[in-house]
Amino acid sequence: MKKALVMLLTGAMVLSLAACGNSVDDGADASTTDTAVEAPAEDEADEAAEVEAPAEPAAPVELNVTTTFAGEDGNAANFKAAVDAWCAETGNTVADTSATSDETFKTRVITDFETGSEPDVLFFFNGADSNSFIEAGKVVSLDEIRAEYPDFASNMNDDLIADSLVDGKKYAIPVNGYWEAMFCNMEVLNAAGVSLPGANYTMDDFKADCQKIKDAGYTPIACALGNIPHYWWEFAIFNNQSPANHLEIPSVEEDSAWVAGMNDIKELYELGYFPDNTLSATDDETFAMFTEGKAAFLIDGSWKVGGIVAACQTDAEDASTIDQAKLSNFDVTYVPGKGDRKATDLIGGLSMGYYITKKAWDDPDKRAAAVSFVSYMTSDEIIPVFAQHTASALKNAPTVDETKFNSLQIKAMKMMSGTTSLTGAVQDLFQGDCRVTTFDGMPEIVTGKVSAEDAVAEGLQTYYDAQ
Amino acid sequence: MGANIYKNKKPALIFMIPAFLFMIVYLYYPFFMNIFNSFQQIKTLGGTSKGMIDPWYWNYAEMFRDVNVGVSLKNTLIMMLVTLLGQVGMAILLAIMVDNVKHLKGFFKTVYFFPIVVSATALGLLFNLIFLYDKGMLNQLLETFGRTELIDWKAEGIALFTMMLPVMWQYVGFYFVILITGLNNISDELYEAAYIDGCTTIQKVRYISLPLLRNVICTCSVLAVTGALKVFDLPWTMFPKGMPLKTTFLTGTYMYYQTMEAKNVDYGSALAVLIVVLGFVLSKVVNAIFKETDY
Amino acid sequence: MNKEKLSVGKILVYLFLIFWALTTIYPIIWVIQNSFKAKDKILSNSFALPFGELFTAANYRKAFGNLNILGAYKNSIFISFVVCACVVLFAGMCAYALSRYSFKGSGFLYSLVVASMMFPVYATIIPVFTMEAKWGITNTSSWFLTMISVILPQVAGNLAFAIIVLVGYIKGLPIELEEAAFMEGCNAYQIFFKVIVPLTKPSFATVAIFGFLWSYNDLFTQMFFLRRPEMRAITRLLNELTSQEGTNYGLMAAAVTLVVVPVVIVYIFLQKYIIKGMTAGAVKG
Repeated sequence: MKKALVMLLTGAMVLSLAACGNSVDDGADASTTDTAVEAPAEDEADEAAEVEAPAEPAAPVELNVTTTFAGEDGNAANFKAAVDAWCAETGNTVADTSATSDETFKTRVITDFETGSEPDVLFFFNGADSNSFIEAGKVVSLDEIRAEYPDFASNMNDDLIADSLVDGKKYAIPVNGYWEAMFCNMEVLNAAGVSLPGANYTMDDFKADCQKIKDAGYTPIACALGNIPHYWWEFAIFNNQSPANHLEIPSVEEDSAWVAGMNDIKELYELGYFPDNTLSATDDETFAMFTEGKAAFLIDGSWKVGGIVAACQTDAEDASTIDQAKLSNFDVTYVPGKGDRKATDLIGGLSMGYYITKKAWDDPDKRAAAVSFVSYMTSDEIIPVFAQHTASALKNAPTVDETKFNSLQIKAMKMMSGTTSLTGAVQDLFQGDCRVTTFDGMPEIVTGKVSAEDAVAEGLQTYYDAQ
Repeated sequence: MGANIYKNKKPALIFMIPAFLFMIVYLYYPFFMNIFNSFQQIKTLGGTSKGMIDPWYWNYAEMFRDVNVGVSLKNTLIMMLVTLLGQVGMAILLAIMVDNVKHLKGFFKTVYFFPIVVSATALGLLFNLIFLYDKGMLNQLLETFGRTELIDWKAEGIALFTMMLPVMWQYVGFYFVILITGLNNISDELYEAAYIDGCTTIQKVRYISLPLLRNVICTCSVLAVTGALKVFDLPWTMFPKGMPLKTTFLTGTYMYYQTMEAKNVDYGSALAVLIVVLGFVLSKVVNAIFKETDY
Repeated sequence: MNKEKLSVGKILVYLFLIFWALTTIYPIIWVIQNSFKAKDKILSNSFALPFGELFTAANYRKAFGNLNILGAYKNSIFISFVVCACVVLFAGMCAYALSRYSFKGSGFLYSLVVASMMFPVYATIIPVFTMEAKWGITNTSSWFLTMISVILPQVAGNLAFAIIVLVGYIKGLPIELEEAAFMEGCNAYQIFFKVIVPLTKPSFATVAIFGFLWSYNDLFTQMFFLRRPEMRAITRLLNELTSQEGTNYGLMAAAVTLVVVPVVIVYIFLQKYIIKGMTAGAVKG
């Protein structure tokens, strides 16, 4: 099931990159089947909607919307423009209470649900972070909405909409996806006589290259293990598994893949491939090492494309000040593979989406407006604006205009067109204190103060205790 | 003898009602909820409890097992000594000096306040850049003196020092402002009388300023000791999550870490209780010490 | 007044004071100079002055272009002034009662105040929010209610500190003045407003400054209560600018500058007032 999902997402992506391949057909096939299965239900729903229709109020309503498209988010301006367009079209107004996504924001959203002051429409994570309000039945599932609005999100490939971890139903309509891959500073690679890693790159190749880079006087891997070990954590575990089983959280007894992953990081640490101060540096510091040509490799998410581009601009706000020569030093490629995981099997997916809350759904004035808003925001026209070089769940992926992109974005799209699978991050399936021992405890693991076995077992135990 | 005025206690009640009403509704009620939470199982901040923890005292027992609690208590204790001697001591020195000079008085009073105005995030960034490994101000400076190897100011052995120096520096201004206000409250005529009696500046400080400041110094000490228990922003910005290797946790940062980062909300609540209890006890101790040395 | 004689000791004192002043002024200058640099220049070049190649006004352009800064100042100043006025009044009265009246349980009440100063805001924010949500004053479209919803918890949060500081000052006052006022027939309320408040004006000003400052800088509470763009206070608004992928240090420095400038002005203003109040109201001690 998961594997199919992975293939489909890749399919959608390849499609969105206007490349061709077999997987495109896979994607199309699957969605046709889906529509066929759902067809009978739709008829009934149509009637229901018709009955409902006259009751729909024409008076403009004010919709409370909370998203993470705010502040420095790359889509903040796009969101504002889309909201204005929707308001102009429908005559409704939007009270936009968006904020930058951080721990305080997540807490705020969860508290809002607890106290009944949740927004009408919410753009939020679809992983473990959403469990509490889904458990409480405070948001409306896709099926429920479609029972009345059969066309709702019909432009989506349903298989790409994540299932809730609570009840397996779909709630959040996704917009833009993410991927995680390995960025390279070619200036450093060239100086060390290392060529850009390709699709068949293995961990052994990687270690050999790291040694060359280290001998040339550079830091091989830009990563602050004491601050943000998340990306290495994910891929190190993935490297001891396969795309088929990566998303299965192991039992406390059978955690060997996870333990092996931790020990792989430990080995790299002991070989001295991380920065000297990797345990006491912040992620900003190691990222600066990477952009300033002191470190060679950086495993990070698709959002880092923007960060690297901004680091090549003298005026962060003005794209015309970009130093193209500096930007051309950066490339992005696959993450060294091992065992059953090929380098081209990457982590990624659609981790957020639009929720319609029960509160808005039960409010006769707001129901239609909320549905209209989400439909507008997830339409074939709007999604490409948000998704850009990442993925979307659209059935008919739009063609993209390459001339609008900078060189790193084009390299990223080229890289993505060669991926063999895209799997969600297992770390999104659990949260909080289950992460403590292996994320925040990474320095203890690599320095040998705590064994990987103990750390993994303790983290998993906490996870199962919380279930 | 002055107690005559204050024999009728009714005004006292009226004076205190608004403040206590606020504190009961906005501080005590939520804090009792917090104590209640420390016996529950809560895994997301703002989320619902999954029922009582079993056994109910689990979180409090856990504190004794948790090495990080030990580390943060030890660090906080050091921090208290640093704040008492470094911050309050330095602030007394500066306040008395400023009070006794003639020129630039207003200037000093204004600029000494600056560190408190700038947000901790910005100060944290500033100090991060000063202590930056490759290559902040200090390491650049050392390089010009011919040192070739970079010093990692945030490495395990030296991290506490790197953390406490900025905290100390920042809060000197805070106590300075409180103390200089206390000095302002002292009437000039007392000093004039002393001047006529031929007192030296040192004598003036010893026999007028310090005794009259006693209550304010006591207040500062209470604030310093309790402040050390909850100091948060600057250490957190410079050393998030107790970096490196969880050696720089303080009680304030550890409570935040458990609540906001680890999402172990019930345990965080228990740590909050610990902070309050310790703060309460220590402030009593400070008060008792100052009472004993009564004149 | 004592005359200033220039001795070696005096010179040393001045040198020391000036040295300390430099350490406190420099951070402000540092923040301001970096607010005129692009973010990639800050890590490598943070201690250089922003001239020539380094200079950019982009950070300010962005801040003023996208955000309603003036509206946010208005909200901030309204919130902070109300908080600061309430804190000074309530804390002053309470501190007076606690330091002058001796009654059974006054020590206990004082301990309650000290203890409440220790409550971490992370532990109390959720119940406070739940409570206010029940009253219906959070997340509304009413500007006034939204302001109230953030003012109330901030007043409570600042009271304990203010009471402790004011108790320290009031206890140090000689009681004879109050006795004299009492002899002239003043009641307790009159004594408070006519004797205590004027005598400890500088202390009230200090408490007011801290009340203002903490309310103004209290991002965490603002994050919870101020949501709609038009209701955001300045700290909350500028925080929007400064998070996300690899912190934008230049923008952050500009944000800090925009936040700090009004506070420095308020402080300098109050500082003048304190000195003036001192020379005008010299009361015998």
